Amino acid sequence: MATYKNPQLRDKLAAGYVLGTLRGRARDRFVALLRYDFDLRRVVAEWEARLTPLAAAAGEIAPPARVWQAVSRRIGGAARGASWWESLALWRGLAIAGTSFALVLAAYVGMAPRPEPPMAMVAVMNDDKGQPALVVSWPPMKAMRDPHIRIKVVQEHPVMESGTSWEMWMLPGGKAAPVSLGLITTDRDQVMKINPALVNKMGGAWGIAMSVEPARGSPTGAPTGPVIFKGQCVKIL
Amino acid sequence: MNRPAPDALALQLAELLAQCALKNQHSFNKLYQLTAAKLYGVALRILRRQDWAEEVLQECYVNIWNHAGDYAMAKSAPLTWMTSIVRNRCLDWLRRPQTEATGEQYDVAVEAWQDDAPGPMEQLAASSEAAALARCMQQLDAKQRQSIMLAFFNGLSHSELAAHMKQPLGTVKTWVRRGLERLKTCLGTA
Repeated sequence: MATYKNPQLRDKLAAGYVLGTLRGRARDRFVALLRYDFDLRRVVAEWEARLTPLAAAAGEIAPPARVWQAVSRRIGGAARGASWWESLALWRGLAIAGTSFALVLAAYVGMAPRPEPPMAMVAVMNDDKGQPALVVSWPPMKAMRDPHIRIKVVQEHPVMESGTSWEMWMLPGGKAAPVSLGLITTDRDQVMKINPALVNKMGGAWGIAMSVEPARGSPTGAPTGPVIFKGQCVKIL
Repeated sequence: MNRPAPDALALQLAELLAQCALKNQHSFNKLYQLTAAKLYGVALRILRRQDWAEEVLQECYVNIWNHAGDYAMAKSAPLTWMTSIVRNRCLDWLRRPQTEATGEQYDVAVEAWQDDAPGPMEQLAASSEAAALARCMQQLDAKQRQSIMLAFFNGLSHSELAAHMKQPLGTVKTWVRRGLERLKTCLGTA
C-alpha cells in the first residue's frame, strides 16, 4: 500500500483532502493512512487552519428558532459526566494566597468594630475577572442558636434583572452537588438564615457560589443559570 | 506556519467548549448564540436548501455537544473545528446517492451569489477570522481564486471543476495547485 513518504506529495494530498478535490479511491487511501500517520494528521490540520476560514465568505445568516429548540430537546436529558462545579475551569484564577484575597481578608478582620463573635469560616467570592465581590463569613455554626451567615458586598453589585433572583450555594467539595442556601437580596450587607438541617454540613463547606436563577430560585435544586461569583472557604477557627 | 495568537473570541469559544464537555447547558446555549449564524451561513451556501441546512445544523450542534470533550485548543482554533464539522457533514450530504442525481448544486457560480448579500470576497474581507486569508486570496489570479472557492463550497473534484468551468482538466488542476501553493506561502509569512 502506498504510504506517501514524499513530503511534497503528502502536502499536496492533504491540501486536496481539505479542499475537497481529493476523491474516490485516492481519498479512501488517504483516509486510511490518517488513522495511524500522526504526522500526516498534522499536515492536514495545517491545511484546515489555512483554508477553513474561507467559510466566512458565506456570510452570517441567523437560523430559525426551531433549530435551537430541536437541538435543546435532543440534548435535554444530558446530565451525565462531571458537573460544572467539579470543573477546574470554574476555579481558575482563584488564588487563596492571592493579593486581592489577602487584602480583603485583612481589611475584614481588621475592621472596627470587630464582628462578634469571631468568624470560623470566610469565603471571598470573586467575579469572573478575579475581583472580590462578596465576602461571606460565619461564626462556629453549631454553637449558634440562630444559624446564619453574614454577607458583605465589597464591589458595587450588578443590577439584578427583573424576573431573576440570586441564589447562594454551598459547595461541599469533590463530586457532591451544590446545596442551596437560599436567595439573597441586593442589600449591601445582610444576614442570611441557614436551615438548621444544613448546620452540620456548613462546617465542611469547601466553597460558596452565587448563580443567577429565575425569580423564585432554581427550579431543579441545582444551579441552572450562570455562576457570577464564587469563592473557596477558608477555616479561621 | 506562523499561527496568530488566539483572539478574544477564540478564547471565549474554547472556554465554552470546555464547559460543554462538562455538560453545562448554559455554556452550550452561549456557544450557539455566538456561532450559529456563521455555521448556518456556511451550511446554506453549500447545500442551497433551507430544510437541508437546518437539519445538518441541528445534527452538527448535537455532535458538538457530544464531542466537546474531544476539542483541543492546541490542535485547532475552536471556530475552525466547528466549521469543519459542518462543512464535512454538508459535503457528505451532497455526496449521498439521492442528491448526486440532481446537478442543481453546481448551477450557481460562486463569483455571483444569487441574492442581494455582498459578494464572497467582500464577506471574507469583512470577517475578522479570515483577514489574513482574504488578503492572500486577493493576490491570486481570478481563475485560481474561483476554482478554489468552487471546490471549497461544493466539494468538487478536479474533473467536476473542469466540467463546471468548461476548461481542460490539466488547466484546472494547475489553477488549484498554484493557487494553494501561493496561499500557503502568503499565509506562512503573515
